[in-house]
Amino acid sequence: MKKVLAMTMAAAMVFGLTACGGSSTAETTAAAEGAETTAAAEGTETEAAAEAGDFTFDKTVNFYITHGAGGDTDYMARMLAQALEAKLGVSVVCSNVTGSNGATCMQQYKDGDTDGYTYILTNTAALNGNEATGMVDFGYDAFEPVAVYGIQSGENLVVAADAPYNNLQELIDATKANPGQIKMGISTGGGVYIEACVLTNLGGAEFNIIDAGDAASRLTALLGGEVDVTSLPYSTAADYIENGQMKSLCTMLSKAPTLLPDQEAASATIPELKIDTEYACLAPKGTDAAAVKAMNEAILEVTSTDDWKTKCNEYSFQDPFVLNLDDTIANLKEQRELFQSFQEFL
Amino acid sequence: MKKHSNYRVDIIPGIVIALFAVAYLALVPGIQSFTGMGSTPLTNHFVPYLWGGALLVLGLYVAVRGFRKRAAFIKAGEKIEKFDLKAAVNEKLEVIASFVALTIYVALMNVVGFVPMTIIYLVAQILILTPKHDWKKTYVPALIVAVVCSVLFYYIFRYHLNVLLPQGILSAFGF
Amino acid sequence: MILEGIQAVLQPMTILLIAIGTAVGIIFGSIPGLTATMAIVMFLPVTYSMAASQGISMLVALYIGGISGGLISAILLNIPGTPSSVATCFDGKPMADKGQAGKALGTGVVFSFFGTLIGIAILVVLTPVLCDFALKFQAYEYCALAIFSLSMVIALTGHDMPKGLISAVIGALLATVGLAPIDSKPRFTFGMFQLNNGFALLVLLIGLFAISEVMKYAEDVRKEIKYTVNEDAKIKGAGFSLKEGIAQIPNGIVSALIGVAIGILPGIGGGVSCMISYTVSKNTSKHPELYGTGIMDGVVASEAANNGTIGGAMIPLLALGIPGDAVTAMLLGGLQVHNVAPGPLIYVKNGAVVYAIFCAMVVSAIFMMIFMLLGMRAFVSVLKVPKNYLLPVVIVLCGIGAIGNANMVFDTYCMVAFGLMSYLLIKSKVPTVPMILGFILGPTFEENLRRVSQLASSDKFFNHPIFMVLIAATVLVVIFSVRSNIREAKKAELAAEDAEKSV
Repeated sequence: MKKVLAMTMAAAMVFGLTACGGSSTAETTAAAEGAETTAAAEGTETEAAAEAGDFTFDKTVNFYITHGAGGDTDYMARMLAQALEAKLGVSVVCSNVTGSNGATCMQQYKDGDTDGYTYILTNTAALNGNEATGMVDFGYDAFEPVAVYGIQSGENLVVAADAPYNNLQELIDATKANPGQIKMGISTGGGVYIEACVLTNLGGAEFNIIDAGDAASRLTALLGGEVDVTSLPYSTAADYIENGQMKSLCTMLSKAPTLLPDQEAASATIPELKIDTEYACLAPKGTDAAAVKAMNEAILEVTSTDDWKTKCNEYSFQDPFVLNLDDTIANLKEQRELFQSFQEFL
Repeated sequence: MKKHSNYRVDIIPGIVIALFAVAYLALVPGIQSFTGMGSTPLTNHFVPYLWGGALLVLGLYVAVRGFRKRAAFIKAGEKIEKFDLKAAVNEKLEVIASFVALTIYVALMNVVGFVPMTIIYLVAQILILTPKHDWKKTYVPALIVAVVCSVLFYYIFRYHLNVLLPQGILSAFGF
Repeated sequence: MILEGIQAVLQPMTILLIAIGTAVGIIFGSIPGLTATMAIVMFLPVTYSMAASQGISMLVALYIGGISGGLISAILLNIPGTPSSVATCFDGKPMADKGQAGKALGTGVVFSFFGTLIGIAILVVLTPVLCDFALKFQAYEYCALAIFSLSMVIALTGHDMPKGLISAVIGALLATVGLAPIDSKPRFTFGMFQLNNGFALLVLLIGLFAISEVMKYAEDVRKEIKYTVNEDAKIKGAGFSLKEGIAQIPNGIVSALIGVAIGILPGIGGGVSCMISYTVSKNTSKHPELYGTGIMDGVVASEAANNGTIGGAMIPLLALGIPGDAVTAMLLGGLQVHNVAPGPLIYVKNGAVVYAIFCAMVVSAIFMMIFMLLGMRAFVSVLKVPKNYLLPVVIVLCGIGAIGNANMVFDTYCMVAFGLMSYLLIKSKVPTVPMILGFILGPTFEENLRRVSQLASSDKFFNHPIFMVLIAATVLVVIFSVRSNIREAKKAELAAEDAEKSV
């Protein structure tokens, strides 16, 4: 008996210690959690009042983030959660449910609680890309889109600094002159793959397409000379460009970000070649329209501050970017159509 | 010739592993492989065939080795013990009970919730691991350990470390 | 700049954060099911709001604490606390069984510290040179490296080589479940989207070690074995004498260097480094037959290597912006959030932060040693806790770890399935350790083999000297291991026959 007591106490002490460290992790309170089932029942009632848009958040909001800690999708979602906590006056708890480029999380929560307290935070490349490549069989319309609340600083087509071509057209011409000699590193099925497909099919380029994995291994491959050209997030390539090891040929964004103005856009050479990866907030299908509207308005409000702008600018040169409900849906629809138009090459 | 008496741990595992390898290999052709632009000459079938094939060969080798040991064993005039299922089950009763408890625990956790299932599982598993004659003096401490641990873990991990432990039926009571 | 960095760390608040980080890391590392990676996942968002040097110092402390803490449960419970301490079990547990738990822990702690310091020293001094080395590793080299590392399996198989190989192949085969590398097509998922991610190493590890440990205990419940608690009556200092410690230094240096080298190469990680260094240490030792019976050498090899890997992994992270594993990927995220971009200009643009990281690593390593040596007596007392209470609680913690891995209850189902598989394999006398190597290296091998198949038309293998050296080394390792294996098996057979005759 004594032993058991001692052991239990030891366990309690160990975990007390973890808790001390942990309590700073997330200042979340359990308080509001309990109301969940009752609120779910009320959810149906409030639907009648959907048009009125008078939804108040009175318990913990759950953010399910489709990508892991340390990535940009996670960071942006957590920044948003932090800003919303101050605005809404309730806790916003972030959980990462990761895997398969966000597909695991989206699959798990697309039919989640519809009481207006469950949101899925993702990026549009994952949302539309997974559908276009056939990894999942649903698109943005399997959710209630809430808002597009940010935009990446984009991927750039990069080559070694001493490469003989200085823009996209020169590169394409070079591949035509030496078909299959210039090696382009891609990650099969990802955004870079779509770029390669468009370059080949619509731009007439004749690359030797080689799989080089994720951004970090594509960087390794370019630096190590295994590939001649690849596409990297600007923030990854920036210091190498500044250091004179690489040069950027063009950005894949439809419009260069304001902090990085003097860049040629790939769409200037090939109109279809534009990949704008945006951060999106989605709710499970069937979520109370009033809640969606209220959340969208709250997001619009917190992302229009100077503080938010500074944070975006500081985080890998991003511009603040946010859309209201109608524009969000229109934007997602347009992007989906673009991605679907690539499907014939995928 | 005692060294051949371990043929049983060769024959059955060898056969099971070989069968598993066959089942695995049979699934490989059904895998969709990517053959579009920039696809690799070796598709996503190659390495599964390699591992599956290797496992099949190894499994068969071990099984054959077992049969040869068995033959040598019989030749040596040793008597083959008959496998007694009942005795074997009886001998491993605690192991089987532990697996059953563990299976029920994880299977029902999502529906019933982490706290109640953990309490039940902990009490059950502690008793399984305790000789029967000590059960009487184990009930109370087992229950204390179970309740304290499950509530404490739930509180710490769910609310402070953001692990999504299932709430289950507890959500109705406001936890 | 150097002073600036050191000053940033040597502030009461930062030191406190490092201490907390190290302590929490040790706790996460020591509890089976919770890992260093998980500790960092949970604390990363907290560091977003801290100053750059504070946040990153805390993350580094969690990393060092987490990797080091894994040795505690490996030695005391025979369940590795993290994937990096798998090889610590090999000799750590036998030492504890012999009543040398304190000595084993002390050895592990001191040589973890030693390995960390060597890793940091190389990180500080040799980073530019080693970056070029890391960049030489492309598809061909990784493919050969995976083959070379897999060939180490033979040395780890024990007497029965075919069964050891079966274990490794099963590991590689389990790793094929999920989205295929390169083209992301689902394999063996039976339409279950939860399986798309594949199995997590952590979940496999729990099944192989934690659950099988419970079952081992369950088998003996009715046998009424009195588990006598063997424990050193009094633990003095680090539990071993200065002379013993000095004798281990060459072994420690070699092991730490192996750890650093594996750390530099992105994507391999501590789980492999401890096993390779254990194997190398065993094969170069004057008394290889004593490995696995509970000698300091084995613990030193494993722990110096896995901690050396920390410093190694920081090299490509800081100097190239290339993360080698889940932990360094998160550290990269943590740095970027603070507007520190790892890469060629990090010394120019954020030199102070780099030196702050170095300094934080040293401080954290010191804290780690102090905490663990002070806590040793308390750790050893875990052995006094009745196992029938302790093991079920460990299993519950493992379940939490499995759920927390990707926030899915599904992973607990896999955990139980792996537990059952591992139990059946152990009963069939199939060793489970090679499975881990197969599981980790299988995907590396496949991914790079397929890339090589793509490159082969334009880039022949004879342009890759490292590739050829590694392949040649593999051939040698295989020949030597097979020969020594056959010799050992014969010896064991003869011994068995002798024993029989004498009966």
